[in-house]
Amino acid sequence: MPKNMSYAILEAIQGEMKRDKLLTLLYEYQRPAAGWEGRAINLEAEFGRWRVRFSPIDENWIVGGSMGMSMIGVPAIAHIPSMTTLIPYELMFNHAGKLRHMTGGQAAFPMVLWADMQGRASFQAGQHADAGLESCYARLAGLKVVIPSNPYDAKGLMISAIRDVDPVVFCEYPLPASGPAVPDEPYTVPIGQAAVRTEGKDITIVGYAPQTVEIAKAVEQLKGRGISAEFIDPRTLAPLEQVMETIIESVKKTGKLLTSDDGSYSFCNCAEIIARAAEAAPGAKFKRLAFPDAPPPGAPEMINYMRVSDADIVAAAEKMIRG
Amino acid sequence: MSTEGNLNKTNATLLTRQPPKKAVSRRTFIQGLGAIGVGSFFFSTGTANQVKGKYVSTYIDGLSTEQLTAMYTDMLKIRLWETKIKDLALKGGFRGVAHLYVGEEAIAVGVCSELRRDDYIASTHRGHGHLIAKGGDLNLMLAEITHKATGYCKGYGGSLHITDMSLGILGMNGVVGASHLLGAGAAYGVKVKGTDQVVVSFGGDGSIQGSFFTSAANSAATYKLPWISVIENNQFQIWVRCSDVYGIKDLARRAEGYGIEGRVVDGNDVLAVYNAARSAVEKARSGDGPTLIECKTYRWYDHYGMSGAQIGRDGAFGLGYRSDRELRDWMAKDPIPRFRQFLLNEKILTEKRADEIVAEVGQAVENAAAFAAAQPVPKPQDGLLNVFAAGAVPLHKS
Repeated sequence: MPKNMSYAILEAIQGEMKRDKLLTLLYEYQRPAAGWEGRAINLEAEFGRWRVRFSPIDENWIVGGSMGMSMIGVPAIAHIPSMTTLIPYELMFNHAGKLRHMTGGQAAFPMVLWADMQGRASFQAGQHADAGLESCYARLAGLKVVIPSNPYDAKGLMISAIRDVDPVVFCEYPLPASGPAVPDEPYTVPIGQAAVRTEGKDITIVGYAPQTVEIAKAVEQLKGRGISAEFIDPRTLAPLEQVMETIIESVKKTGKLLTSDDGSYSFCNCAEIIARAAEAAPGAKFKRLAFPDAPPPGAPEMINYMRVSDADIVAAAEKMIRG
Repeated sequence: MSTEGNLNKTNATLLTRQPPKKAVSRRTFIQGLGAIGVGSFFFSTGTANQVKGKYVSTYIDGLSTEQLTAMYTDMLKIRLWETKIKDLALKGGFRGVAHLYVGEEAIAVGVCSELRRDDYIASTHRGHGHLIAKGGDLNLMLAEITHKATGYCKGYGGSLHITDMSLGILGMNGVVGASHLLGAGAAYGVKVKGTDQVVVSFGGDGSIQGSFFTSAANSAATYKLPWISVIENNQFQIWVRCSDVYGIKDLARRAEGYGIEGRVVDGNDVLAVYNAARSAVEKARSGDGPTLIECKTYRWYDHYGMSGAQIGRDGAFGLGYRSDRELRDWMAKDPIPRFRQFLLNEKILTEKRADEIVAEVGQAVENAAAFAAAQPVPKPQDGLLNVFAAGAVPLHKS
């Protein structure tokens, strides 16, 4: 088994905390400790409570405090829970995203907003099963947004996010341990670079985070039906320019772009991807799959009907190809 | 401040209330047995002011036998209903999740016993007890926790979000601190309407730090809203110990800074909670503004889920962030036997009648489980309804 998401992310932070003696983590209750195959990381025990500090239930402190310390050159990671993803929104919008520009380049926020995300799980309901809020942050000027889909990317993107001199929102959805093995040493996955997960020629399928699990299953099923799908994981949602180069190149080849998103249909991040691809590849076919514009219900019967599944992706792809 | 230190040495029958001004139907002072202190604290005058005495008394003026019996019954309902959920969840295949309130029953019952049906409460993620104490239906609650189509929220909400607007229950809520704002806003609405209803916001010890609480408390104080903030201090924010994230021990001291009276009571003593709630409700109803009541208590189970719990055994043991000894110390202060002993001493109940109530509540809980199990699940497409008052939102899949 590859390292799990938690272990991979904490290994990234551990390495960076050794490298930068000021890097500080504020968090709420998500204990920065994880294990994998008999190995254990415990950041508080290793670096002490001043640099690894739990907080009261107070996202404004966790995020605002991180912003303040990063302004004076103490790089910070603010880890917030999944049900309060948008509580620090105004801080990120009006301060972290704007102050470099507002101050003519003087102010900088070398910080990471490590936002736990939920995903469309059953029995959680309402405030505990939402998704797609990454697009809220991705539409704000001055913020970078990354969204890993496996532990390897999570570690590499976290290191890039920490080393970036600008504020980065790191979105962590619950995901299985899959993908390439995670090296022990620090490495970076550059911000702004998409990954082509599967090469194909008939249709381009784009999706990230938990939807990559559904897409990967769908790509296999489509192969069995004689359809060669190219599967692209954006990994970065802002800035999107370089990611779009990869997607547009693929769409020019296949002539079809299908996106799959756990966020709500309207303004989901894939809507932006389709809009940009449509400008660059006129004449191609486009289809957006997403969760309906509804809050997530708790009962599995309802939420599983609403969420995009591998079967939905296969059906949509076949319809696009065979009309 | 040594609230616990004093209270723990006493029996269940503690005083936390001044004698009422009005004539009363029942007047009972119970002499404390060898107690040396009284746990009553007022913060309205600026400095914490501890009242000390040689003995303690419990004041139950105005509570009829029926009311006292109902309080005992409601505490048992919460205990047995939640214990049933624990056992069902441990058995496996349970269609839901739960944040258990067991151990804190005295607070919900002590507060809600003084509320009218048309008063409002705003609850928390750990709110089953509040709902039951406010009159929530055990059957519909269990159906909702298991996401059935006939549950309180038709299976949309589940444990974290059970709501019954008809009982003035503005809902459980999965976001910490929101109950304070929703409650204070409702209290403002009561002022606009000109009624004498009151609103209680329940919140945990973690709920007073975010800006939601500040906004609620400041406006409630400024506008003298009929608002009561009940802080259930069970000493942990998930696993984070309160004393590690607050610079003060008694959270009720926060109230003073807003211009609100703050009180600390033994949250495991239903009469202590009741007495504090009663004066707060009287004050709110008569237009004299808000009160904050901090109730010191302890949750017997983990924040969420059933770690350390077993079928047929009370309490969750072996949790990394607290000692089993600490849990046992608090379980020894179980509010239900304490209150039962008081009722027996006072000859409000006989042993026989008290046992009958346990059996009746136990049967009601079994009936609720059977009811919930027999209910239908929601239709898949119903998830597209109730987004707005009218119509369904599109699925967008075809």
